[in-house]
Amino acid sequence: MSTVPLRYRVPWKKIVVYALAAVFALYLLMPFYWIFAMSFMHEVDAVSVPPQWIPEHPTLDNYLSFLRPDAGEALVGGRAIEETPFALGNSLVVAISTAVLNLVLAVPAAYAFSRLKFRGGKVLLIGYLVTRMVPSVAIIIPFYLMMRSLGLLDTYGALILSYLTFSLPVTIWVLKDFFRAVPRELEDAARVDRCGWLRTMWEVFLPVAAPGLVAAAVFSFMTAWNEFMFALFMTSTKAAKTMPVVAANFATDMNTQFTLMAAAGVLAVLPPLVLVLVFQRLLVQGMAAGSVKG
Amino acid sequence: MTLTDTRRAYLLNTPALVVLLALVAYPIGYSFWVSLHRQNLKRPKAVRFIGLDNYLSLWQDPAFLGSLRTTGLFVLVVVAMTVLLAISLALVLNETFPGRGVLRSLALLPWAMPGVVNGLMWRTIFDAKTGVLNGLLTSLGIIDSYQAWLSSPTGAFFLTAFAQVWNTLPFAVILLLAGLSTIPGDLYDAAKVDRAGVFQRFRQVTLPWLLHPLLIVLILETMNAFKAFDTIYVLTGGGPGDATDVIAVLNIRTALTYTDFGLGSAYAWVITLITLVVSAGYVAALYRKGSFEL
Repeated sequence: MSTVPLRYRVPWKKIVVYALAAVFALYLLMPFYWIFAMSFMHEVDAVSVPPQWIPEHPTLDNYLSFLRPDAGEALVGGRAIEETPFALGNSLVVAISTAVLNLVLAVPAAYAFSRLKFRGGKVLLIGYLVTRMVPSVAIIIPFYLMMRSLGLLDTYGALILSYLTFSLPVTIWVLKDFFRAVPRELEDAARVDRCGWLRTMWEVFLPVAAPGLVAAAVFSFMTAWNEFMFALFMTSTKAAKTMPVVAANFATDMNTQFTLMAAAGVLAVLPPLVLVLVFQRLLVQGMAAGSVKG
Repeated sequence: MTLTDTRRAYLLNTPALVVLLALVAYPIGYSFWVSLHRQNLKRPKAVRFIGLDNYLSLWQDPAFLGSLRTTGLFVLVVVAMTVLLAISLALVLNETFPGRGVLRSLALLPWAMPGVVNGLMWRTIFDAKTGVLNGLLTSLGIIDSYQAWLSSPTGAFFLTAFAQVWNTLPFAVILLLAGLSTIPGDLYDAAKVDRAGVFQRFRQVTLPWLLHPLLIVLILETMNAFKAFDTIYVLTGGGPGDATDVIAVLNIRTALTYTDFGLGSAYAWVITLITLVVSAGYVAALYRKGSFEL
């Protein structure tokens, strides 16, 4: 039997938890911090040995050079610099369109799964799941040929259509779970008040299910914003190149200027990062619901 | 007015179904058709039906066989590292300590990172002349001169896997954390009364409850690692030599650079078949566990 009073016992568990928490915090934050810090450095400082952990001569030059159309000619990696503002705009248009189209197509389908019992429902739901599991490489070549014959190569259309293939099934699954959590009584009450089917949906059901709609929209926005393979394949000019494609150009250029590459990287990660931080709870809930339960 | 539930359900599903049939089912069929041809974009007139020749050639295709091996090893390393790190991080996050909220947000950070930016980020970190990995290891006295980490096949392989793990960790952590939160607290109290140590408690209480989310993590991460592309493309482009030439990178190079659509489609079909077998196993395993809630 221990004679040491309880409060003097060494809190091993606490020590281990704190130590691990600190290690994980560093592991998760440091890599990102590094490109963030680098994006505010002059090239000379960025390549200094030993590395500067905090920019000694902070500058906004890297970000500003994206705004000057002639900056590209003076600097290494010129074309990518010139393309960056366009790419940001393209990514934004494509990601928002993908998110909106996803909701338009998935809401009715998910509503059917959450409210109606119907023959073949399970098979259909698994069918959606299977399309989600088809790897992108499997459809990229036929997609390219299809888009070429439709004259859609290097347009937003080709990207939006291709992003639907992997985000639509997920959206249906996520929405279905959120919709099931909406109490049926609400709709029944509205119907007693002689509200029509559509009006009930629009004024009663969807507002209550709003968090699910937001989560699903954010998911599909992020998927579209981050996608690279299709964008690399199907875009060739600044008319449709997205941010990941242009960012990759910075990396594959032999004379890469690290600070510009870092600034482009920060710009490319900013929108999804903000969304994740703002909608944290909702996204975690949606992700857990969407996959743990099936 | 007299629409039956089944009719109404299919009506509601029609838009999503039409879109997915046109954008997934049709291209997959088309892809198979292309894979039966000798078809190279560079010689548009020379398209010729050659039956299964593309598939038969795969067995003697060193690039393909080599990349299958690389991919298998890559999946193994990534999944093992992800699971180990994710379990530790989830266990830490399941404790209560000041700063837990911050660490939870940090744990989501890599999830927001587009694969391309992830690749860019690690490229600057692993860089031979200026990278902070070299800077850090030198100042800690672990190495005495800067190393070209990505120039050695083994180094490139493991660092690429490491970068991939950083990117995919949040997903596994969230699923495991969701699993941990379902464990009733009194199970631990009971175990403590039985004087079970930390490791015993983990083995006898935590692990059994985690089996289900672990299964999902294992299979989803396997599928993810199998499809890995963005990070590797930017970080090493498949090199040095063919050290990191995973199947998706090889496939995109065959289609995009060599514009060999026939062979590329055959590659894609084999990848799809493997993925679908794994996925079918996934769905079946969950279905048997009775946790596949439709």
